[in-house]
Amino acid sequence: MAKKEKSRQRKFDTRIDFTPMVDMNMLLITFFMLCTTMLKSATVELALPTNDKVDENNQTEMKESEAVTFIIDGVQNEKGESKEGEGMIYYYEGKPDVENNNLVQLKFDKEGGNTIREMLEKRNEDLLREYRELKLEKEKTNMPDTIFKKKAAELRVKIKKDDKAKKPTVAIKPTPTASYADVVRMLDEMQINQISTWQVETLNDQDKALLSKNGINVREPETPK
Amino acid sequence: MGKVKVKKHSTIIDMTAMSDVTVLLLTFFMLTSTFLQKEPVQVVAPPSVSDEKVYDEKVVQVLVGPTGKVYMNFTGTKETDSTKTKTLPTEKFREEVVTTAYSLYRSAHSGAPALTETDVKEFGRLGMFGVPMKDLVSWIGMSVEERDKLTKEGEGIPIDENSKDFPNGKNKVNEFQKYWLPAVINVLQKHELGEDIRGGHLVAVKAGKDTPFEYVHIVMENLQTAHLNKFVLMTSFKSEKDR
Repeated sequence: MAKKEKSRQRKFDTRIDFTPMVDMNMLLITFFMLCTTMLKSATVELALPTNDKVDENNQTEMKESEAVTFIIDGVQNEKGESKEGEGMIYYYEGKPDVENNNLVQLKFDKEGGNTIREMLEKRNEDLLREYRELKLEKEKTNMPDTIFKKKAAELRVKIKKDDKAKKPTVAIKPTPTASYADVVRMLDEMQINQISTWQVETLNDQDKALLSKNGINVREPETPK
Repeated sequence: MGKVKVKKHSTIIDMTAMSDVTVLLLTFFMLTSTFLQKEPVQVVAPPSVSDEKVYDEKVVQVLVGPTGKVYMNFTGTKETDSTKTKTLPTEKFREEVVTTAYSLYRSAHSGAPALTETDVKEFGRLGMFGVPMKDLVSWIGMSVEERDKLTKEGEGIPIDENSKDFPNGKNKVNEFQKYWLPAVINVLQKHELGEDIRGGHLVAVKAGKDTPFEYVHIVMENLQTAHLNKFVLMTSFKSEKDR
């Protein structure tokens, strides 16, 4: 009898319950998984023109009919923040015309600026048509991403060189109080609509005159506190 | 009797195998993850549809706080074997940048305290910083709490000539433009990493989504002046159905 009990005891000793161990590991895994996915932030590439003086002969002239200028305005609250989506978007085509007042008001809607998208889509339809075909082809033939990107870049160059094709040249001019998120959103629209020529610029005097005619006063940039 | 025995046996599941798997997974995640850097101000990057990831080596991160304060951080190459060419581990990158930048500062301000070898080594180990040059040496010598406090409450890296006067007088200098950027460019060129300067992925600007654009614009203008016209803006991911 005594012998029997002993052997039973031994058997019990060797078995360790791993459930809490697994629980703890799972928790740790969840922690690490969340940390790693959060870590890598995405980026938007931005190329600004040089500050150096460029010879007038070297400057590429853009057609007035192709030019679209977006002005992004924002509202700064008492904390000094400019909240996303509270500002207004304005645009004009060609040159700023104070007399005829060619400023048009737009708004980013909740879905990410469909009004702007529609407008840009219409102006960039030649490229977008071919781009969509390329995308369909990609899905059909399982084209690798690298080749797709290369082809898309070629397409952009082709349209750019084609004088008959409709292609907008976009200038984005945020006011000092514009929300940074709105500016990034506008850059997104450039990417979504495959706009190949766009530029971030500052407001000039003509822009300011046009804005003030519409009752929008732009303040001078403030220096950081 | 036999019935009871069978029931008892079925309720016990052997967790050892499960534990093995979880430990393996855990090790994987621990080894692959790099921890979030401590940032002096918390900013929420704006969402964007772009899916291009920020480079994880050879990056100069410029953080713009909600009130326009500017902080910097440097990340070197992944390759740490410095006997190879084109290698610049993060610590060495930071050490060399701070040495170069500070010597540029000292050549204009001869009365400034010297930066010792230990200071340089200490700076190499630190993370994001944002103090004016005049406070740099004392900042490095501080305890961790004091350091964090000064970074948080200080004025950041002076970036605008028109910013309010420094307490001790008339030296209004854009230190970002005059010392830090040239130091970064200088160090990279010295290590034959010059092609990365104009590649467009060297500088990553991070700003909060509610930051007024004027503060980001100051940084952009400075980068333009330093001929770093191409750079990236850090954003968080947003899915777009009709992309």
